[in-house]
Parts: sequence; structure tokens; C-alpha cells
Amino acid sequence: MVVWRYEKKHILTKRLMVLSSFFLIVFIILIGRLFYLQIILGDKYFLMAEKNRLSVRLTMPDRGRIYDRNGVILADNTSTFQAVLIKEQAKDYKKVLKRFSMIINLDEEELEHIQKDLKRKRDFMLVRLKDNLSSEQVALLYLNAPDLPGVQIERGKIRRYREKERYAHTLGYVSLLTDSDTDKKDDPLLDLPGYRIGKTGIEKSQNNLLKGVPGYLKSEVNASGRTVRILEKANPVPGKDIKLTIDNRLQKFALSTLGEHAASAIVMDVNTGEILSMVSAPSFDPSLFLAPISVKNWEKLRDDKRSPLQNKALNGTYSPGSIFKLVVALAGLESKTIKQHTTINCAGHTKLGEQKFHCWKSTGHGPLDLIGALAASCDVYFYEISQRIGAENILNTARKLGFGEKTGIEMEGERAGIVPSFEWKKKKFNDSWRMGDTLNLSIGQGFLNVTPLQIVRAVAAIANGGKLIQPHLLKSTKANVKNLDFDPQNLNIVRTGMFQVVNEPGATAYGARFNLNGMKMAGKTATTQVRRITQEQRDKGLLKEKDIPWQYRDHALFAAYAPTDDPRYAIVVVVEHGGGGSRVAAPIASKILQETLRLDLEGEK
Amino acid sequence: MSFFKDRNCYMKDYNLSLMDKIKGFDYIYLFFISLVVFIGLGVLYSVGGHWISKQSFHFILSLGILIVIAFSNLRLWMKYAYWIYGAALLMLLAVDLVGYTGMGAQRWLNFGIMKVQPSEVMKIALVLALARYFHGADLDDIRSIKYTIPPVLMVVVPVLLILKQPDLGTAMMLVFMSVSVFFLVGVQIWKFVVLGLAALGTFPIIWSLLHDYQKRRVLTFLNPEKDPLGAGYHISQSKITLGSGGFWGKGFMQGTQSHLNFIPEKQTDFIFTVFAEEFGWIGSLGLILLYIILISYGFAITIKCQNFFGKVLAAGLTVNLALYVFINLGMVMGLMPVVGVPLPMMSYGGTAMMTLFISFGLMECVKINHEMVIGRLGSIDDE
Repeated sequence: MVVWRYEKKHILTKRLMVLSSFFLIVFIILIGRLFYLQIILGDKYFLMAEKNRLSVRLTMPDRGRIYDRNGVILADNTSTFQAVLIKEQAKDYKKVLKRFSMIINLDEEELEHIQKDLKRKRDFMLVRLKDNLSSEQVALLYLNAPDLPGVQIERGKIRRYREKERYAHTLGYVSLLTDSDTDKKDDPLLDLPGYRIGKTGIEKSQNNLLKGVPGYLKSEVNASGRTVRILEKANPVPGKDIKLTIDNRLQKFALSTLGEHAASAIVMDVNTGEILSMVSAPSFDPSLFLAPISVKNWEKLRDDKRSPLQNKALNGTYSPGSIFKLVVALAGLESKTIKQHTTINCAGHTKLGEQKFHCWKSTGHGPLDLIGALAASCDVYFYEISQRIGAENILNTARKLGFGEKTGIEMEGERAGIVPSFEWKKKKFNDSWRMGDTLNLSIGQGFLNVTPLQIVRAVAAIANGGKLIQPHLLKSTKANVKNLDFDPQNLNIVRTGMFQVVNEPGATAYGARFNLNGMKMAGKTATTQVRRITQEQRDKGLLKEKDIPWQYRDHALFAAYAPTDDPRYAIVVVVEHGGGGSRVAAPIASKILQETLRLDLEGEK
Repeated sequence: MSFFKDRNCYMKDYNLSLMDKIKGFDYIYLFFISLVVFIGLGVLYSVGGHWISKQSFHFILSLGILIVIAFSNLRLWMKYAYWIYGAALLMLLAVDLVGYTGMGAQRWLNFGIMKVQPSEVMKIALVLALARYFHGADLDDIRSIKYTIPPVLMVVVPVLLILKQPDLGTAMMLVFMSVSVFFLVGVQIWKFVVLGLAALGTFPIIWSLLHDYQKRRVLTFLNPEKDPLGAGYHISQSKITLGSGGFWGKGFMQGTQSHLNFIPEKQTDFIFTVFAEEFGWIGSLGLILLYIILISYGFAITIKCQNFFGKVLAAGLTVNLALYVFINLGMVMGLMPVVGVPLPMMSYGGTAMMTLFISFGLMECVKINHEMVIGRLGSIDDE
């Protein structure tokens, strides 16, 4: 018994040694594991702990405000409550988003934008869910906070367009980021929730000036994301304020004068190049784009045949029509191929070989000199002289006056238009330049394509004595001025023609004339065909305007300047499918120009 | 051999006076136990909150229990070992029927004045019962399969009940402890091999018994990075906390991970990470050394003890302590699934502290009575 007892104890002691050794091995493994975690991986885990602990939050700078020339605020920022989501704090962010959209209504577009943002941003970044929250919505969100982990409500700023549709094209608008914006990865602003980037107009072209520099807040946060203390802070630097050359009063007047037309109007200071008004109608409220625009609104804008989204003032291109006769006249005078008194008899048409070229007045104007031809806008006169002047001279003068190239205004989306050349035609149509082309050119039809902004600049150059000035919208821009070295005498003849267009009884724009404290207007009308008139139609007799579908009606153009004895302002009005330049465009331009002069006088008081 | 016989005769009416007991009490053992408790209190202080005062109260209460048990008669424990085991088993059954639910598992029994966790009681009761059982066994008995069936059942029944609660950590501890005891008393190695293979075979059955959250824990343990914000969050943050301590640690009260609440259950199961973050590898090494000292002490008492009941009791309880440490440390270091086992003497919690101090009281009791001879059936003279 005892032997057994002893052996039992002996075995236990022996096996205890084995067990102890085993335990020792376990302890060595544990210590080794600690060594691995704390010393070998120590630095890595230290950084991870720091990342846990520190939160660097960017703070949004205020976007620069935009004023008109008189200091009226056109765009500023207003306080808003916005809901943001931090992905890593929401255990299941898809679920949280679903719950959120049950509390705050989100439409398809908004959800899509949020999902894209969630995919793009890293887990610790804030993603905008919705801004412009009403106090009711804020209360609802607070009430449901336990169900919405990771959702925070922040005070933010949002762009406010005080003048709404008046500046939809000029100022443009800011909007939430899309894929193309996020390619520019170097800007920390892009990571801010609810950051909006300038998409069109001045907001886009001056985005770098307006956006400012974000500040940051480095703080220590606990596991639930609550800030424990602030470690470092840098205030955001607000964006620069911008002063425009636009006069808000005139802008308001111009847009309402365009009415329901698909039209644009530009008023430019002929001496400085400042744009006092630039409107494109119909317009829209740019605030629609602050949040992802709803499909309904978007389709309404997109499908409107009057294309409200287009800035027609510099993106629309048109045949200049009879306005181009000013260029042809100047080309003739400058090349000395015609004189003021060069007289031609208009019989209603001219013949070029077998081809008949018609004057707009089929009964003919009879004998006319250059000034008379401009006043009556006689086509035959210009058909004839263009053959003497030659296409080359005309095209060169057109280029000198800035057609065919961008004006360099501080806006994106400007188009250069087309001033053809012999090579251009060869390349485009594989055909040489023909005399018929020259005749079409002489009345501003054919290949020519210009923007309203180019027209107003050219008219300003004629008005100011031959200086081509860069039109601009920013007060701070120093405009490029190019002296075109036209003979002042020749310019004077063209100006006299323009004076007569408006002020000679029976001339094309006589109905639009005015006399404001002795100040008068000089200008030129144009009515440009949208489609070719065939001989058959001509024989049948032209249709009445109201019988033609809107999109086939002629464009109405009018370019002018005032006052005539000391030109200060140039204007262009283009009414798409408006019908006649003298009947539709000239009265509008007249009204706007009178208002411009009135405001000018008011300013001098 | 006569030496032992003589000794037995000499010790026939073995009865220690109070003075003998005070002399026999191992103060150094208690010192090390208390040292770990104080380190734990320091960490709780760093963590903040009301934990420290409550834990101090637990400590004082537990200390009293330790002394009472240390000075009790070891023979009584032998005598009532099965009764205690039976009571624990009944409580486990009761908890299954009317138990209190906490933390997603049914573990508590409400006795009005106090809540009792029968699985904690079972940790000691099972050791007592096994010690009692093997005390009277001959080596021949131990080596017979028939003889080992009752103690195996003694283990399996409570383990199944605890698994059902479900409490994977405690079940695991009971199994490991029992295996160690079976090994120590001399069960042949090949039986463990067979049993191990059998366990492997029944693994799918056990897996199907596990609750979803337990399965998830095991799976998460196997691949914590797969879901760093979900269930893997604890393991990831635990490793970050440990690792960020580096060699010297961030300094007392300077732990960022713990102070900013990145550690869940930082005052209980994950308390080691708080300590390791603030005191680094060096501090952790020191703490682990303290545990090694305590375990070595336990084994020293085991060897020194003359009666087999005391030996098995001391060994079993010490293995329990070691398992606590292994499972908890393995868990926070990402070597094991998170199963909810506290770090002895460090983690906050009254029941755990009391259970531990009952064990330490029994250890002291064995130490004081290490020369006692106990008959096969619990008396001196029934050899």
C-alpha cells in the first residue's frame, strides 16, 4: 500500500515537472508574443493608436462674395445645418443611410450622389448627407440620434444667389462634386462634406480666387468620436471677394426686357471694355444646382427648346447678317476700293452668272451711296462692292475686328465662331472659294459664325475710334487694348451710316430711335435666315412669320452704341427666331441702352 | 518505507494549534497575491470611475474569506468535497432553469442578498471532488478504465451545463484543468491521445451546440482583419493598445487607447492591455513574472504537501490560476478567441475575486496542513 502511495506521489511530482515545463513554454510564448507586438510592431501600433486618438478635421472657408460694380451683393453665403456621416463610426453605414432617408426624404439623385461620395471617401472622412436642413428636420435627427450612429449635424455655409435667375449664366453656380471634379485630387477642399465647386460662369473661372483655404482642427477624440480636447487649430482663410463690372440695376432691366424670348443682350463700355450687363434668356434659378438637381427640374431645363442652360451671349453662334455690312464697308474704305460716294443702283437683285442674288427688298432701293446703303441695309449694294473689295480684304478686316477668335472674357464656354478663309473652305468642303461665297459673305451669311460678344466688341471698336478692347466682367481685370489703326475718317463714315440706320426716317431701325437729353443711338440691324429660302418658296410668296414654325423663324439681331457724339456704351441684342432685327431686336436694344444712359446720368449726379 | 509508516503513527492525532497555523501560514504567498491586486487597483485608478473603491471592498472581503478558509480544517474540505460538488451541480441546473441573464448568457443565480455564478463555484468544487476521488485511489485503480469513468462524468456533466449557458471560457478552463489533474494523478498518456482524437471527432457536434455569437467569435479570431469594425474590433483595438505601449510604455495615466475608450471592457477582461499600454513590455514582463512566481508557489505547495488530497487540490487550483492567466493573455494578445475570461486579481469583479481568494485560502490551508495525513476516507485512522 505504502509503496503504491509513495509511487502515486512520485508520479505526481514527476508529472508536475512536465506540466510546469509546459506552462513555462506557454509563458515564453506569451512573452514572445508581447515582444512581437510591443517592440517589433510597436511603432506601427503606436501610429495606429495615434490615428485612433487624433482627428484632423478640415474647416470650410467661406466662399468669396460677389458684388456688382456698385457694391450690391449678388452672391454670398448663408448659414445652414447639414447632416454628415462618418463611415467608420456607423457600423453599418448602408443601414444608417437607409434609416436616415426614412427620416429625411432623399430623392434618387441625392442618394446616388451620397453613395458615390461614400465610395470615394475614406472611412474617417465626412460625407454630406443633406444640407439646408430645416429646424424641424434637425430636431427629428436629434430625436433619432441613437438609431443613426455616425451621423452628425454641423453648422455650415451654403451659397446664396440673391438675384436668382438674373445671373444664372454670368455668375454661373456652384454645385456638389462630380466624378470629373474629384480627379483633381490635390485640393483638400474636395474632401470637405458639402463642398461645392464652381461649375459655370464666374463661379467656375474664378473658383481658385473664390474658394479660399480650409482651416483645420486637430483634436483628440474618444472611441465614439467625441472631441475630448482641441490640440491645434488653424482658421480657414475665406475666399477673395469679387467685384463685377455688371450694374445690377441694368442686369435686372435687361433680363426683364428680353421677356419670354430666347435671346441674349450685352452692354459694354466702349472705352474700358467693362461689361455692364450680360443676360441670356430664358434663365433659371442657379440655386437649383446647389443640391443634386431633381430629374424633373433637369429635364425641364434640358428639354426647353429655348435652351435656358446655354449662355447665348458667348456660347451662341450666329450668322452676323447685315451687321456684317459694317465690316464690309470698313474693308472697302480701308482698302480704298470704294468711297463714301460710290453709288450703285439696286433693282432688287443682282446676277452672278446664272445665279440670282436677291435684295431683302424685292422691289429694289434704286441708287444708293455707301451711307444710304447701310441705312437701308441694301443687299445688292454690298453684293456689288464686295466683288470690288475682294473676299480677302473683307475676311482680314473681320479678323482684325476680333471675329473668329475668343474675346478672352473671364468665362469658360466662350466660342470663337468661324471666319472662313480660302484654305478653310478647301479643307472643309474640298472646294475653292467662289464669287458666290463672297456675295453671301458681304451680307453676313454663309460660312460666317459669330458670337454676340464678338459683335459688341467690334461695334465698340468702331464706336471708340478703332480700339479693340477685351471685354471683361471683373473690375480688377486690366483689359487688353489693341489699336487697329483704322483711318478715323473711314470709321466716321461707318458711324454716320449707323447713325442713319436709327435716325433717318424710313431707315431700318428708325422706330427704335430715341433722344435722351440730346443723346442718340447709332446701330445696325440684322435679320438672319435660319434656313435657305428656295426659289420655289420665293415664287409662291414668302410665308407670314406666324405661319412658320418657331425654330425656322429668322434670328433678329441689333448692335448699337450711344451716345452718338461721344460713344460710351455698345450693345448687342440677339433674339433667336425673333423674326426681324428692326422690329424685334432694335426696340429691345433701344430700351436697354436708354436705361444704361439713364443710369449713367444718375451716377453722375 | 517505514519512515512514512512511523510518521503516520506519530501523526496519529494530528491537530494543529492556532499558533501552529499562524506560523504555518505562507505570508510571502499572500504578499505576492496582494501585490498583483494592488497593481490591478492602480490600473483601475488609471481607468477612472468608481471601479477602484468597489474593487478595494471586494479585496478586503475576499481577504477575510481567505483567512477563514486558510485556518479551517483541511479534513473538513475532504469530507464535504462531494457535497460541495453536488451543491454546485444543483446550482448549475438551477441556473439553467431560473437563471439570470447577463451579457447574452444565463450565468447568474439570485439568492436575494447576493448573486452567485454557479460556474465559478464549480471551478473549485470540481477540483475538490477530483482531489477527493483520487485521494483514495491506488495507482492500479487510476490506471483502470473503469475507475476513471466516474471522474470523467464528474467533469463532463458540469462542462455540458456550462456550455449550454453558454460560457465557452469557463467550460474550456474546466476541461483543461481536469485534463491536467488526470494527467498529474497518473492516468496513462495514451488515454489522453485517444480522448483527444475522440474530441476531434465530436467537434462538429460541439460546433453545432455553440451559439451564433460564439461561432462568430471563433471565426473572427481566425481572421480579425476581415471585419475590423464588427466583432474583430475588440481584437484589433486590443492589439493596437498593447503594441502602442512599446518598450517603456506611455506612462501611468497616459494610455490614450484606454482613456479614450477604444478598449471595450477595459476594467475587466481587457485590463491587461491598459496596463501594457502604460507600462510597456518591461511592465508586462514584470507582471507576468509575478504570475509565474504565484504559480511556482502553488506547485511548491503541491510538492511539499504530504497528503494526496492536498496535493491534487493545490495542483488543480494552481492549474486553474495558470489557465486564467493563459486564456486571458492569449485572448488580449490575439492568440485565442475572445471568450470572456478575466485576468486573476487584476480584472474588476467581485465574484471572480472571491472565487480566487477562496482558492488561495484553500492553498494556504493545504500549506498550513501540509504534514497532515488523511485516510482514504477522510479520517486519520482508516488506512
